[in-house]
Amino acid sequence: MAVVVNGKIRKHTALLAVSKFGTIIGMLIMYLAFSIAVPHIFPTWKNMVNIANQATLAAIISGGLTMALIVGEMDLSIANVASFSGVLVTGLMVQSKMPMGIAIPIVIAISAGIGIINGLIITKLKVNSVVATLGTGSIVIGLNYAYAQGVPIASGLPESFKQLSLGKFIGIPNNIIFMTVVLFALWVFINYTEWGIQIRATGGNPSAARLSGIRVDRIKIMALAIASVCASITGILLASLIGSGTSGAADGYLMPAFAAVFLGSATLKDGDFHIVGTLIGVFFIGIGFNGLAIFGVPTFVQYFFRGGVLILAVGLSSVARIMATK
Amino acid sequence: MPLEESEVAIMDAPGKRTAVPLLRIAGLSKSFGGVRALSNVNLEVNPGEVHGLIGSNGAGKSTLIKILSGDIARDSGEIFLEGLPLYVSNPQEAYKLGFSFIHQELNLIPKFSILKNLTLGLRKKTRFGLIDWKSVQGEVLQVVAKVGLTQSLDTPVEELSVADQWLVTIAHALMRKIKIISMDEPTASLSAEESERLFKVIHDLTSEGIAVLYVSHRLDEVLALCDGISVFKDGKCVLTTTRKEATKNILVEAIVGGQVSDTSRQTPPNVQSQAVVMQLTDLCKGRKVNKVSLTLHKGQVLGLGGLVGSGRTELANLIFGVERPDSGSMTLEGKPYTPKSTNDAISNGVGLVPEERRTQGLILKGSVDFNMNLTNLSQLRIHPASPFLSKRKFALVSNAIVNKLRIKTPSIHTPVVNLSGGNQQKVVIGKWLSRDLKVLIMDEPSRGVDVGARAEIHAKIRELADAGASIIVISSDNEELPHICDTVLVLSEGRITGELTGGEITKEAILHKSYEHASL
Repeated sequence: MAVVVNGKIRKHTALLAVSKFGTIIGMLIMYLAFSIAVPHIFPTWKNMVNIANQATLAAIISGGLTMALIVGEMDLSIANVASFSGVLVTGLMVQSKMPMGIAIPIVIAISAGIGIINGLIITKLKVNSVVATLGTGSIVIGLNYAYAQGVPIASGLPESFKQLSLGKFIGIPNNIIFMTVVLFALWVFINYTEWGIQIRATGGNPSAARLSGIRVDRIKIMALAIASVCASITGILLASLIGSGTSGAADGYLMPAFAAVFLGSATLKDGDFHIVGTLIGVFFIGIGFNGLAIFGVPTFVQYFFRGGVLILAVGLSSVARIMATK
Repeated sequence: MPLEESEVAIMDAPGKRTAVPLLRIAGLSKSFGGVRALSNVNLEVNPGEVHGLIGSNGAGKSTLIKILSGDIARDSGEIFLEGLPLYVSNPQEAYKLGFSFIHQELNLIPKFSILKNLTLGLRKKTRFGLIDWKSVQGEVLQVVAKVGLTQSLDTPVEELSVADQWLVTIAHALMRKIKIISMDEPTASLSAEESERLFKVIHDLTSEGIAVLYVSHRLDEVLALCDGISVFKDGKCVLTTTRKEATKNILVEAIVGGQVSDTSRQTPPNVQSQAVVMQLTDLCKGRKVNKVSLTLHKGQVLGLGGLVGSGRTELANLIFGVERPDSGSMTLEGKPYTPKSTNDAISNGVGLVPEERRTQGLILKGSVDFNMNLTNLSQLRIHPASPFLSKRKFALVSNAIVNKLRIKTPSIHTPVVNLSGGNQQKVVIGKWLSRDLKVLIMDEPSRGVDVGARAEIHAKIRELADAGASIIVISSDNEELPHICDTVLVLSEGRITGELTGGEITKEAILHKSYEHASL
C-alpha cells in the first residue's frame, strides 16, 4: 500500500459516494425542499402514508420488471398485462359470478402463462425481447377488448374486492402490506434461492451461466413469468382501488416502472438492477409526484420531472462512476 | 507449410541506436485507491525496436499501456514522444499522435467486410457526397498486401481465422501513419505457424521504423522477437535487458522474484491399467469432428493437441453436452452417456473449464464467491429440503477453494473483474473443485496466465488426476502438453492424426502430427 495524497482519496471517495448514493441524496433533497415549501401539507404523517400507498402498486409491477431486467430481457408488455388483469378479474367476478378467491388465482395463472409465452418467444424463437413483448403486449390489449369490448366493469363488484386495497390491517393500509410481502419475497428469491442466483448469473453472462450447468432458457422464462405475475397483482389491486375493471387503467405504469428500476440500478450498486434499488426508485418518483401535485404544478411539469429526473440521476451516477475509476 | 523461424530471430532492427529515443518514460507512477499499480517506471523505446513487456498478471504492463493510450491518467512521471512531452487524455488523441493499440480482444465488427473494418473511423474519399469505395479500395489493397492478407476485401471478418483477424487489426493501424504499435498477447490464440506469420509482419513493420510494444507471457517468443525487454513485477520495472543478454532463466527469475519450482512429472503412473472412465466411439459433428474415438482412464491426464480450429473445442462441447453429436456414441463408466445439456453433463460428473475465461467462464461483475458456487448451488441449501441457500455455506466453500488454489483476492466478495488474469483463471477452475468430478475438460487452462500461476495450475491438474479424476487438457501451447500429460492425442481437421504416450510426447512430435492431413 502506498501513501496517496489525501485530497485525491477524498475526491475519489466523494465521487464513488455520489454514484452510489446519488438517488438517495436526491430523494432527501427533494423531501427537504418540499417540506420547506409546503410545511403544513407535505411532511405530515398522513401524506407520508399517502405517498407509500400510492407507491405500492408501482412498486409491485417494478419489482417484477426488475426480475426481467436482471435476467437481461426487456418486458414491455407488463402494463398491458396489468390492465388486462384488472378487466379480467372484475369480469370473472361480475359476469361469471366467480368468487374472488377463485377469480384472482385464475387471473394470476393466466398472466403467468403470458409471461411464459413471452419467455418462449424470446428463448426458442430467438426474438429480441423488445420486439417479442411489444408484440405480446399488443395481443394482450386485443384480448382485453375482446373480453370486455372496452366497457368498464364496475357495478356488481363485491365489497370484499374493493376492501382488498382500501382496507387496513392493524392500522396499515393493505396495499402497503401487499407491497412489503411481494418485494420481500422477490428480494429473498433473488438473493437466497438457487433460481434467484441462476437468474443473476444468466443476466451477468448467459454463456458462462450455461457452461456452469444453468438451464438458461428456463431461467429466462421464469423471470418473465414473474414479471407478468407481478404486473397482474398490480392490475388486480388497481381495479380494486378504482372500483372497476377499465381497459386501459394500468397502461400508464410502464414508463414509471422502467424509470424506477433504472433509477434503482444506479443506487447502491454499480448499475446492477436490484430490488432494494427499485424500491428506492419507486419512492423517488412517488415523492416527486406527490410534492409536485401538492404544489399544484400543471401536468406537463410532472412529465418533465419524470423524464428529466431519470436521465439526470442515471446520467450523473454513471459519470461519477467513470470519473472515480479513472 | 515450412516454418520460417530463423529469419525473425537473427535480424536486428535497423536504426537501433538513434540519439533521441522514440518513446521515453521517466518516473511514471499510478495508484488505484491506495494500491500502487505502477511505481517509478522508466522505459526507452527506439524507432524500429520491438520492446517486450513481460511480467505476471497484475504486474503493471496493462496499466502502462492504458496510460499511454489515455484510458487512465497518470499520477506522476513524464512521457516523451520523440523528445517532446506527451499528454493524452483519450485514445483518439493517442491515435492522432501515432500510437496504435491492439488489445487481446480485437476491436473488429464481425459482420463488416475487411474493407469496411479497415476504413472504420477514417475519412474516406467521396464522390457527390457518397463514399467512393473504388478509390478507397485502392489504398486499402496496398496496406493489405503489406500484412500478407490474401482474402477478398469483401470477406466479413467473422469468417476469418483469429490469426487473420489480427492481421486485419494490424492493417487497420497501418491505415494511418503510426510510430508505435502495442500488441497485447498477440499469439495467445494462434497456432505456431500462424505466430510465425505474425512475426514476419512485425519484422516488416520495424524495418520501416515503427516500434512495437509487445506484451506476452511466452518467453521463448519474446526472446526470439524482442530487441529490448522490460520485466515488470508489482508495478515496478525490475529488469531492463536486451535479447543478447537475456536468457529464459533470467527472465523467469525476474518475473517471479526468485526460483521457480519445477512442476514437471517425475514418474508417469501406469494409467492404461486403470479402469476406463469414458469411451468415445466414432463421434462426428458437422465438419469439425470426424470419427473421433478415444478412451479415457481413471487418473489420466489426456492432452488434445493440434492447431486452433482442428476440432478440439468442438469435441469438448460434445462431451460437455453443449452440442449433440451427429453420430457415434459415448459411454461413461460403462454406461451409455448422451448429455442433453450442460446441466445433464454436470450431474453425470463431467465438468468443463472453457477456453475464454472472460466471456465463457465468469460472470465478471459477480464476486469470487458468486462465481465459484454457480456449479454447486443445490449443495448450499440451508437444509436439503429447503429452497433457501445459506450464505455461510457459500463462504465456507469458496474460502476453502481460494486457499486451496492460493487465489490472490482481497476477499471472496471482490468482483472477479478486479482480479488478475491468472487469478480469474483459478476461479474458473475452482468452480469445479467443490463437487466430485469423473471427467474434467480444460480448454487452454493456462492461456494468458503468468508463469507462477501457470505452474500452480499444472500442479493442480496433476493433483486432481492423482486423486482419481480423469482430465482432458486442450492446449495450443505445445510446451504445456508434454509437461502435464500422460497421453496426447493430436487432432487435425477433426480427426485424430496421432497418439503419443510417455516419452514420445514432445513439442516437435505434436507439431509434426498437427500438420498431418487427415484426408491423406
